[in-house]
Amino acid sequence: MKRIILSGLIAGAILFTLCYGGLYIGIRLFPVLFMDYNNPLFNSDGNRDVFFYMHAFIISFALSWFWDRFKGLFQGHFVLRGLEFGFVYAMVSLLPVMWITFSSLDITFFMVLSWFLYGFFQAVIAGTLFAKLNP
Amino acid sequence: MNSSSGPLIRPSLLLLLILLPSFAFKPSHADPVKWILTKECTLKVNGSTNINKFSCIVPEYVQPDTLICYKENKNGPLKISGSMALDVQKFDCKHAVMTNDLRKTLKAKVYPKIIIKFLNLSKYPDLYNREEAIKGAVTIELAGIVKHFEVDYKYTMTGNGNLKLIGTKQVNFSDFNISPPRKLGGMIKTNNELNVEFVLNIKTLN
Repeated sequence: MKRIILSGLIAGAILFTLCYGGLYIGIRLFPVLFMDYNNPLFNSDGNRDVFFYMHAFIISFALSWFWDRFKGLFQGHFVLRGLEFGFVYAMVSLLPVMWITFSSLDITFFMVLSWFLYGFFQAVIAGTLFAKLNP
Repeated sequence: MNSSSGPLIRPSLLLLLILLPSFAFKPSHADPVKWILTKECTLKVNGSTNINKFSCIVPEYVQPDTLICYKENKNGPLKISGSMALDVQKFDCKHAVMTNDLRKTLKAKVYPKIIIKFLNLSKYPDLYNREEAIKGAVTIELAGIVKHFEVDYKYTMTGNGNLKLIGTKQVNFSDFNISPPRKLGGMIKTNNELNVEFVLNIKTLN
């Protein structure tokens, strides 16, 4: 349990820096790609900002627990284990969620694709870290 | 003698008492002019976020209203009574998603109208001296909040002889207790300032 929490915490801090840092830079470099977020579907009064920024830790703890349960299934070099872990997460979790999101909400395909790739990237980073921290 | 002249005086006195108030309260030299606001009136709002600019317009005014101007003298300030009420739902930002977002921000479902009430003008538009700046006071009611503003006007004549009065004013979302929208944890932020421009297309009736 201690290992799950510790590796979740470390992965959370790293994902927080990488993802929000990347998002901050991405918005400034490619503003056109983010114009569709000026959409009433997205919260706009700031009362859920804390939840938004907690996401890196929520996904890290969830993936840390998942890794601890099924890490025996991922074999080989730690980078390869991380990649496979990310792929499994993307197929099992992200794909169905993104599918229903695109089918039910008035958002663009590009937006959903970017969320899919963002989640896949997060899971690969987390998986690679777990392969080192909790082999 | 007194008793016979009494009944003759009384009707005259009564008439005087009835007519006197109407002379007493008539504004001196006030010359009311009716301005009919035609459907060519528009309202434009320009704003920006940290990633883009937006320009949203109510392209027409489907319920013509009348403003009444009281000209005290030719070059002096004049009082105006009347207002225009525009539908927030009619805003069009040429980008469906942004249009919906602006309507939500302006609380269109709860407060469906923007009401601009005209109070005065610094002088009557002189069509032979169009370079002259005119100022005027208005109140703007938006999202249930009424605010008083001084507006700068430009004016011109249209081809069909109507007066076109263009008022501009920078306002803030916060003037109307509206928080500028922020998305993705504040990474995309709308700036507080909005440039409002309303075009009044006026048919003058004397």
